[in-house]
Amino acid sequence: MNVIAGARDLVTRHLRESGIFFAFALIVILFSVLNPNFLSPGNLTNIILQYSYILILAIGMLMIIVAGHIDLSVGSVVALTGAVSAVVVIRMGMPWYMGVIAALVVGLLVGMWQGFWVAYVGIPGFIVSLAGMLLFRGMTYLVLDNVSLSPFGGTYYQVANGFSNGLLGGEGFDVFTVLIFAIAVVGYAVSQWRSRQGKIAYRQSVESIPMFALKIVLVGAVVMWFGYQLAQSRGLPLVLIILAVLIIVYTLVTQKSVFGRHIYAVGGNRHAAELSGVKVRRINFWIFVNMGFLASVAGVVYSSRMNAAQPAAGNMFELDAIAACFIGGASTTGGVGRVGGAMIGGLIMAVMSNGMQLMGVPQSIQQVVKGLVLLLAVAFDIWNKRRAAAAR
Amino acid sequence: MTLPTDGTRRRSPLLALREVSKSFGAVEALVGIDLEVHAHEVVALVGDNGAGKSTLAKIVAGVLSPDAGQVELAGNPVTISSPAAANELGIASVFQDLAVCENLDVTANVFLGQEVRNRLGMLDDGSMEVETRRLLERLTVRIPSVRTPLRNLSAGQRQAVAIARTLIGEPRIVVLDEPTAALSVAQTGEVLTHIERLRELGLGVILISHNLNDVRAVADRIEVMRHGRNNGSFAASASHESILAAITGAA
Repeated sequence: MNVIAGARDLVTRHLRESGIFFAFALIVILFSVLNPNFLSPGNLTNIILQYSYILILAIGMLMIIVAGHIDLSVGSVVALTGAVSAVVVIRMGMPWYMGVIAALVVGLLVGMWQGFWVAYVGIPGFIVSLAGMLLFRGMTYLVLDNVSLSPFGGTYYQVANGFSNGLLGGEGFDVFTVLIFAIAVVGYAVSQWRSRQGKIAYRQSVESIPMFALKIVLVGAVVMWFGYQLAQSRGLPLVLIILAVLIIVYTLVTQKSVFGRHIYAVGGNRHAAELSGVKVRRINFWIFVNMGFLASVAGVVYSSRMNAAQPAAGNMFELDAIAACFIGGASTTGGVGRVGGAMIGGLIMAVMSNGMQLMGVPQSIQQVVKGLVLLLAVAFDIWNKRRAAAAR
Repeated sequence: MTLPTDGTRRRSPLLALREVSKSFGAVEALVGIDLEVHAHEVVALVGDNGAGKSTLAKIVAGVLSPDAGQVELAGNPVTISSPAAANELGIASVFQDLAVCENLDVTANVFLGQEVRNRLGMLDDGSMEVETRRLLERLTVRIPSVRTPLRNLSAGQRQAVAIARTLIGEPRIVVLDEPTAALSVAQTGEVLTHIERLRELGLGVILISHNLNDVRAVADRIEVMRHGRNNGSFAASASHESILAAITGAA
């Protein structure tokens, strides 16, 4: 198989996934042409800081959507966990990590609450989380006494606003940041190579060596360029480290663990999964607990970024997280979707919002555009499914 | 697994149901049913709609538990409390239309609920794929790739995957509920071949079907059910008419 045929094969086989990737690349190119500042180091850093919490939420949401549920309460949970953290840190004067722990505990409790109703009582996630949306929003107001609490300051503030910079020096750019990205690229190349060797060992088909090399070089170049841009600005955002760790861990959980496999099975055919010995209720319970946990992480990041806890924080976050999953290839009927796809979907939303903001597009138009993109993405998914069904 | 040959077959059957009853509210689905299945044997359960065939299959598969009566496995009384418990006892089932996850690939379906883990506790996809290919070869199933999602396979191939998955974990009993109901003639022929392979592998097979031709083609013994009761036991060579009479109660 030569390089071109290999590339064509790769594209047609993964039309849904590669389609989203090309769409992302196109949007980035479009905005960089329209606005020279779009790809500036400062703006790239901003995009990460502004949308990290949506991406964190999208990870948990993806697992819920794959299992065939939906969670409308995450925005309220972000607000509630941030509020609890603020009470602990600001009002009670406890150290920053006590605030983080309190937020995570509340997030886990919220997740267990919702997981219980969905998994063991059998109420649809849509209803449980709709109730949760009101419930946890109300509790946020109660916890905060209807007023904002600020500022966190200190270490807590650094979670979402801190950078690692100057650790190893560097002229005009942070060597440490570049080094971390270089390690990431090498790690990516090694893991890809090992999985390729593994496939060969098990007599599976693999892409040709030139194709493989091209993929590694392309990904490596984009990642290194991105890292260098960050290094020229304020260095490595701490929140990017949190996000990277979460993405790696959850990609492994969803693709390589038995738990992850069972989430897909439950979403694909609940009865078949049950008859095969999959503990469906336990899966449903834990994905909601997990969502509560990730919502509390997002709550910490968001309150840290705002340097305050506000009663109305996190409004509509659930919709951004859900949109990220569907734009990123998750199926509305469950069973299909990847963490990586949801991240690209979230980045598409992020890049579009940021790009339109830079161009001074009014908020109203931004909403219209984002709504249309979501609609088209799902329409493309359905068209693609029909095409596949017709080809069978 | 040691395979007892016909001459040395053990006295106690592989699976025996004794006086099993099951009611749903006022409806008596099963009334004092007896059933025996031996190794190297395909036992067909036939009967009209509502005769209790699927209820019986679900009891054996651990989906339902009987109200009364006893289930014995190789002579020992057992309680099959869940599908997972049935798997552990060596009972595997294929249910009509419910058997597979279309979004998962062949390997994932075959190993669903019984995944192989590596040293790190993660999925060992490589060895599962090798084992899947081996199982499909044993059943003489032809599928382009074990990494094809099930939604891209034909109905017959999906049923073959569903049957292949019963072979995971060295089962002794396989329950097939209407495995040919949705299939074309050619696909039905292939599935019947797979069932014969299961018998050659030394398993006891319970085959539930509406189609008397299919049943007579592969079964060693035909058990007729009517209104939740045993209504006659026939050799595969019995005439179509006599079996039909037992099914409809005309006799």
